[in-house]
Amino acid sequence: MSKALKERALFLLPLVSFVALLLLLPVVGTFWNSLWQDVPFIARRFVAFSNYVQLIKDPQVWQSTLFTILFAVVSVCLEMVFGMVTALVLNTRTRMRGLLRGIALIPWAIPSVIGARVWQLIYRYDYGIANIMLSQIGIEPVNWLGTPVGAFVALVLADVWRTTPFVAIILLAGLQTLPDDILQQAQIDGAGLFQRFFRITIPMIRPIMIVAVLFRTIDALRVFDLIYIITGGGPGGTTAPLSMYGYKFFLNGDFGYGSAVSVLLFIIALLFVALYVKVGRLRAE
Amino acid sequence: MLGRRETFLSIMLIMSVFIGCRSKTARLTFAVGGASNEVEYWEKIIKEFEEAWKIDVVMLRQPTDTDQRRQGLVIPLRSRQNDPDIFLMDVIWVGQFAASKWLVPLDSLVRTGDIDLEDFFDPIIKQVDTYRDTLYALPVYNDCGLLYYRKDLLEEHNLKPPVTWRELVRSASYVQERERDKNPNFFGFVWQGAQYEGLICNFLEFAVSHNGGIIDSAAEIIVFTPENVSVAELMQRLIHEYKISPPNTYTEMKEEETRLTFENGNAMYERNWPYAWGLHNREGSALAGKVGVALLPRAADGQHAATLGGWHVGISEYSDSKNEALMLLKFILSYDTQKKLALDLGWNPGRSDLYNDPEIRERIPHLDVLRGSFENAVARPTNPFYTQISEVLQKYLNAILSGESKPERALAKAQKEIAEILHRYHE
Repeated sequence: MSKALKERALFLLPLVSFVALLLLLPVVGTFWNSLWQDVPFIARRFVAFSNYVQLIKDPQVWQSTLFTILFAVVSVCLEMVFGMVTALVLNTRTRMRGLLRGIALIPWAIPSVIGARVWQLIYRYDYGIANIMLSQIGIEPVNWLGTPVGAFVALVLADVWRTTPFVAIILLAGLQTLPDDILQQAQIDGAGLFQRFFRITIPMIRPIMIVAVLFRTIDALRVFDLIYIITGGGPGGTTAPLSMYGYKFFLNGDFGYGSAVSVLLFIIALLFVALYVKVGRLRAE
Repeated sequence: MLGRRETFLSIMLIMSVFIGCRSKTARLTFAVGGASNEVEYWEKIIKEFEEAWKIDVVMLRQPTDTDQRRQGLVIPLRSRQNDPDIFLMDVIWVGQFAASKWLVPLDSLVRTGDIDLEDFFDPIIKQVDTYRDTLYALPVYNDCGLLYYRKDLLEEHNLKPPVTWRELVRSASYVQERERDKNPNFFGFVWQGAQYEGLICNFLEFAVSHNGGIIDSAAEIIVFTPENVSVAELMQRLIHEYKISPPNTYTEMKEEETRLTFENGNAMYERNWPYAWGLHNREGSALAGKVGVALLPRAADGQHAATLGGWHVGISEYSDSKNEALMLLKFILSYDTQKKLALDLGWNPGRSDLYNDPEIRERIPHLDVLRGSFENAVARPTNPFYTQISEVLQKYLNAILSGESKPERALAKAQKEIAEILHRYHE
């Protein structure tokens, strides 16, 4: 090894060890745990992949996986649409732009647990705000969280409300890097509003959009607090995301199986990331 | 060379390590949690014990949340720590802890006559504290499901408290229909149907009082039986067909939600634990003096049943001061301490002989109903993997209540999943 190479390795060492310690170790550790049967009341033993075999046989795993992916896809799509609209509004030159930007950020600034509690107070059957408002106009109260579809919609709505500002802020940063002259030139050349938006704005901020989608998807796949508070996974386990399903095993003391569920979630998130990197050609740009 | 100050400091450090170790091993550690007033009351009891027996006790304060309390005990016990020496356990942990061989057998106390099992409720000792014919714990505080009813409304409509479920459904529908004119939010019967442990407690009461249940004679877990299917159907009907239980029964109803619905005058009957009594009758409550307590109903050909809750005391197998722990255990279970807990905290004593005490009868007027319930108490399975089994059953029962699943199919699926869990852990 040449001296220069050694030197380079030496300089890289802190970063590599940092990544290994903080990122790689927990992942490998969780995987290692998932190969064991680790239940408080019986001796810990190595079971290789039998936790994963069980995972495939477990109907709740399938249901939770489906729910998690569906929740992530639907809420991220809506957040991108609303986030883009918000960003475009915030990017216009109005006098109250600073104030508007501040207000738009509020949902994101509220701790998610508290935001979830607020939504719970809206959806509640007995004294929820939604039902109180309905009763004012003489409509029977609705059990919003009482059906799987109702609960799903309610959760997506709460998540979209909370994270749209986050998407908007990222997209706004992208919009601000757009040189004005290109858009003005296009306007002079006769391009309409939609043409300018879809042919110029979107392609130019695409890398930023990919970043926003990436962040949001990973976050949405790991969703926990919002659902834990609003539906608790009900009715009948139809809204239990993988993170919550895995958590229950940690709580009840089946650490091996809980780890296997975590690994599954990790793999799903990794697949999404790989997909985006490929679609977005992040490396090329 | 070390300077004088450094030498001094390192000596102090080494000494402090030794002192720390010594004080740790010589002391008795008692882990207890609960509401803050309860934990403070335990501190008082501990002080009395320390003065009477000249034994130092360290109190390990645990949180209120039951799951966290469990975790706080499981972690030191798994790693065979010698602290805590003695602790309180929820009824459903006793079997799990005993199966893990974490508890000291208490049979010797019975043999020496220090504890007389005649002083306790037989069904509780048999179903909860005995694991494979060995006694591992004793009840400090008993809890069970009760039926609360509105005395004033019963009188107004010329009805008697229901004895059977059919009577309950009939009178609840009757009163609900008439009360709706005045109060559109009025419901006949509120109980706990959300997806959590409380749902199992409610289901067990419905099931056992209809000759069903989830444990067969060989202590195997059986949920898919004709009796249980028809009981699950009944629970579903209460919400969707008779409509005497509110639509949010399966989404929101836990203990506090049912209590508040009842206290706000929006329900005729309520299934809840004994704690609700004091709150219903507290000063300023709209219902003070208007609430009655009865045994939960039964089927026409069934027995009354009340799911058992409560906290039991046991001693760690890894304890380094087992003798002192035994003395504390005896102290906690003594007539006097139990009486104090009943009078000052309103706890239903673990000992059955206190149910004749005139002072306690004055403090807890429905003591006879409680005694009747404990004599008909039904425990949840003492299976070591009960929490996992319960999760599965909660999910399917909740799906039944939501109207999304047919009882027969859902219980069959639950049975299959439970069998798989047991198979997996017993391989």
